[in-house]
Amino acid sequence: MAENDDELEELGISTSLTRRQLVRRGLGGFLIAYAGALPKVAAAGVPKYVHKHYKNTLKIIQWSHFVPAYDVWFDKTYTKNWGAKHDTDVQVDHIALAQLPARAQAEVAAQSGHDIFGHLSPQAGLEDQVINHKEIIQEVTRKVGKVSQVGFKSCYNPKTRKWHGFPENYVPDPIHFRKDLWNQVGIKPSTWDDVRRAAPKLKALGHPVGLGMSNELDSNMLLIALMQCYGAFIQNAQARPTINSKNTIEALKVMRDIYKRGMTNEVFAWTAASNNQGYLSGRLALAVNAISIIRSAEDANPALAKNTSVAPIPRGAVQRLGLEHVMGVYTIWKFSKQKALATRFIADLEIHYQGAFKNSKFYNFPAFRGAVHNYATQLAADPHKGKYKVLDLIARKYTANLGYPGFSNAAIDEIFNTWLVPQMFAQVAQGKMTPAEGAKAAENEFKPIFAKWRARGKI
Amino acid sequence: MWSTLRERGVSYLIVGPFAIVLAFPFYWMLVTAFKTNGDLYNLNNVPFTYHPSQAAVGEKLSFQHDHWLPFGFENATTSHISFIFSDTNYLRWVENTAVVGGLVVVITLLLAVPAGYSLARLSGRWGQSVGVGIFLTYLVPPTLLFLPLSRVISKLGLQDRLWSLVLVYPSFTIPFATWLLMGFFRTIPAELEDAALIDGCSRLKALARVILPISIPGILTVVIFSFSLSVNEFVYAITFISGTKQHTISAGVPTDLIRGDVYFWQSLMAATLIPSILLALLYNSFLNRFIAGFTGGAFR
Amino acid sequence: MAAVAEARPQTRRFRDLLEDRRFLAPALITPAALFIVLLVGAPLVLAVYLSMTDATAGQLTGKFIWFHNFTEAWHNDNFRRALRNTIVFTLASQAIVLVGAGILAHALVRPFRGRWFLRLLILLPWAAPVAVSTIGFLWIFDSQFSVVNWTLVHDLMPGGGHFYLYRPVNWVLGGIDHLPWVHVGKIDHLNPPQWLGQPTLAMLAIIFVQAWRILPFATVIFIAGLSSIPTEVHDAAKVDGATGLRKFWHVTLPLQLPIATVALLFGIVFTATDMTVVYILTSGGPFNSTHMLTTWAYQTGIVSNNLGEGAAISLYLLPVLLVVSVLMLLFARRVEVS
Repeated sequence: MAENDDELEELGISTSLTRRQLVRRGLGGFLIAYAGALPKVAAAGVPKYVHKHYKNTLKIIQWSHFVPAYDVWFDKTYTKNWGAKHDTDVQVDHIALAQLPARAQAEVAAQSGHDIFGHLSPQAGLEDQVINHKEIIQEVTRKVGKVSQVGFKSCYNPKTRKWHGFPENYVPDPIHFRKDLWNQVGIKPSTWDDVRRAAPKLKALGHPVGLGMSNELDSNMLLIALMQCYGAFIQNAQARPTINSKNTIEALKVMRDIYKRGMTNEVFAWTAASNNQGYLSGRLALAVNAISIIRSAEDANPALAKNTSVAPIPRGAVQRLGLEHVMGVYTIWKFSKQKALATRFIADLEIHYQGAFKNSKFYNFPAFRGAVHNYATQLAADPHKGKYKVLDLIARKYTANLGYPGFSNAAIDEIFNTWLVPQMFAQVAQGKMTPAEGAKAAENEFKPIFAKWRARGKI
Repeated sequence: MWSTLRERGVSYLIVGPFAIVLAFPFYWMLVTAFKTNGDLYNLNNVPFTYHPSQAAVGEKLSFQHDHWLPFGFENATTSHISFIFSDTNYLRWVENTAVVGGLVVVITLLLAVPAGYSLARLSGRWGQSVGVGIFLTYLVPPTLLFLPLSRVISKLGLQDRLWSLVLVYPSFTIPFATWLLMGFFRTIPAELEDAALIDGCSRLKALARVILPISIPGILTVVIFSFSLSVNEFVYAITFISGTKQHTISAGVPTDLIRGDVYFWQSLMAATLIPSILLALLYNSFLNRFIAGFTGGAFR
Repeated sequence: MAAVAEARPQTRRFRDLLEDRRFLAPALITPAALFIVLLVGAPLVLAVYLSMTDATAGQLTGKFIWFHNFTEAWHNDNFRRALRNTIVFTLASQAIVLVGAGILAHALVRPFRGRWFLRLLILLPWAAPVAVSTIGFLWIFDSQFSVVNWTLVHDLMPGGGHFYLYRPVNWVLGGIDHLPWVHVGKIDHLNPPQWLGQPTLAMLAIIFVQAWRILPFATVIFIAGLSSIPTEVHDAAKVDGATGLRKFWHVTLPLQLPIATVALLFGIVFTATDMTVVYILTSGGPFNSTHMLTTWAYQTGIVSNNLGEGAAISLYLLPVLLVVSVLMLLFARRVEVS
């Protein structure tokens, strides 16, 4: 039939509806129907006049929360209620995690955009573009008490004495492990040495541990936390790079050992979703990740969730200390025309954080500890048999800020965003460098970065 | 007859493998879109067929009792596909993409047809240089242009509105369109126009009455390319527009279907397949037209 | 009477103006040129300015530091690797596209049964919005769930027999290993290749995806070019006795050369300045080994807040592309004239 169609078409003769004509007419009709909508759709911008009866407008942008229900609660319930009380139309936009930096910079370049920008990590680099968030901090402190150390050291710049962001929440970073498999090898992952010993045994069972060393968020957090457990830090309290130390070399050796005997080279290709997916498939025996893994398992594979335990990060030679998985930081641009209103919104959100805590399924912990009461009771009341109680312990004792023991600053920001730590670990693990060389190479990379930002007066 | 059979065989032998390699990912997307989470994340399962698994929260196994379905399809679910229609603004995104594409095509044609004609026929020496100049604008990567452009867009009050894309996209479709049309116009023998001019037409009329009808294939090519360039664009779509109702497909899909470290693979696959098939059908039907068009017209 | 006589010379003068090449030519180009100058030229000037300042984080002003950013960038290993990668990536993918599209276009101009459907399949990669189709490839090349790896490593024969695809593939790879300068190794069926995790494989994956999505585009251009060869040329060739390969070499190819050059040129430019595929597939990893200049510029300028440096890096492309473009345009013009 196709050949006939061609010949007929070329001759311009066709008495019946060829298949092609049918498709073309169908598409044509489709297009014409839409053409009617053309002017309307193109002219549609952000609906400015929908809530004309509200005096003010407040625009917020933040990431799409991995718990879709949180976004539904935030967009449709919380902000609408708050808006009604303050005669404000609150508009919430969402953006993918990866696009946050581009969008932020575009708004700075354009000098217009959203009043409140929700980042997922402290943005020391944007310090000059945002207001000093001191007032909000003071307001919230008055009502619920002091900000946690994690919040303080993430969002305050001691050099310029400026709060370059408001720490709204942070997400504790536990480990997930398969009770049944670890029982089989007779070890519990309470120290990194335990993990080191168990790794080859678990690999032999076909269920390796899942510790990523790739250019993505999970690897970044895990490896910096590992270093901390061994007393190795990117910088000291005076913001001088201290990456080249005995402890770093020790941490590198540990990770190299775990890799060589317990993992395959897939861990260099992982995305942020890979350890989630690997764990959910039942294959991985250990993952270091926020509770997104176990929450997904509860939905999709309850048997797996039952076999999963949540615990703090393993202890290293020096201490047990992890990092926040992500930190929700709200910033208000200098060019915003609704600074007072935005300040009010953020303060109210934090003061009444109970709603956010609950609706995020305990993913979001408030940076002001006093904003939520009875952590233990609430976590224990979760229908999954009190598994989440340990999150409180992790949030209180075992979570440090990025840049510990110093403050999160622009240099730490840059090192974090360009994956320099996973790169160092990966090259050592693959045998491309010895641990000593790796630490030295990292130091050579970090020093100019620190120097650059120091020269700009930010450190 | 033997030679046509051989010719046809050769055609299949060449086109077949290409078609398989090019279309296989889409076949794969189609299969994946119907998988349940338990089936998808199970490393022991054959990826091309469907396997029983526990239905996750929100998954409906609508074919559960139809055991006659091939490939184990009774274990498939349409919930992830319906998710994009019920829980995201997917239809709005498709609409937005179509509208932006259409308007960009119109603007491109309006500006590029005269420019191409001018460069092909009227410009002589300096026309070449201007042509080269226009082309050189392609050498600037948009990876950083979007920042100064953000400022322009906000000054014009177009931030977060689709008009911002309609304004910016022609900046990369026009150079290409001009070039293409220049090439097409050049292949049309000048005698045709001269004949029209001798008959008393003005240049512009000659352009409209004589050249344009013959260049329909070229114009259709420009339409297809401009539309596809505009649909494919990603960086500007993400940075200029933040409201989910105003997103295009390229911006909306990564924003709503990738949440932190959770990828909704099945929905992502379905979201990719739908516009791809529609657009491929569209382009394919245009292709026919301009190939057929050339056997008619001025050359018979 | 006199008034009418007055009016007519004026309108005639305007119409004459419209006929005058020297007026008409620039008039027709101006709208397009203006559009481009405003929307590309102005931001480009701003980007050049930024590249010579120490601007950070989106602010469009900074302290003037002349060419410091350019030298700074050059001293970074990652930058040099990005430059190398850009060249390899562009040339390799475009070579595949050129050859593939050329062959495919020839096979598609002649009608045959099922051509419409096969053409539909071939158009799919280009019809798909690149951002979302590349996300699809993320899953196809996933480190654990890659369907490519599954197909290579598992028994593909339903029922009793056994057929493992990796065995014949390893046989071919073993053969390639015998060549002097090439070493590829074999596929370990217990630890299949990490398409996005090993530097070489990641480059191959990126090149493949880019060629995959540009091939239909180039094919369409070639088909258009082939169709535009007037039938008189075909007839004349037949009269002269040129058929098959001779006709291809002496008639079809030369006529196609201008349009092939344009297709190649645009392919090169689009590939060298595009960051979507690399950004989504590998973000420059593993270990920054697959960065292109565009993604490295993005990483430096946007993600790391060093805007001035990022602008400088993205401008490095300009002279390279300039040279390439001018050369190809000259070549196209010479071919056309002949």
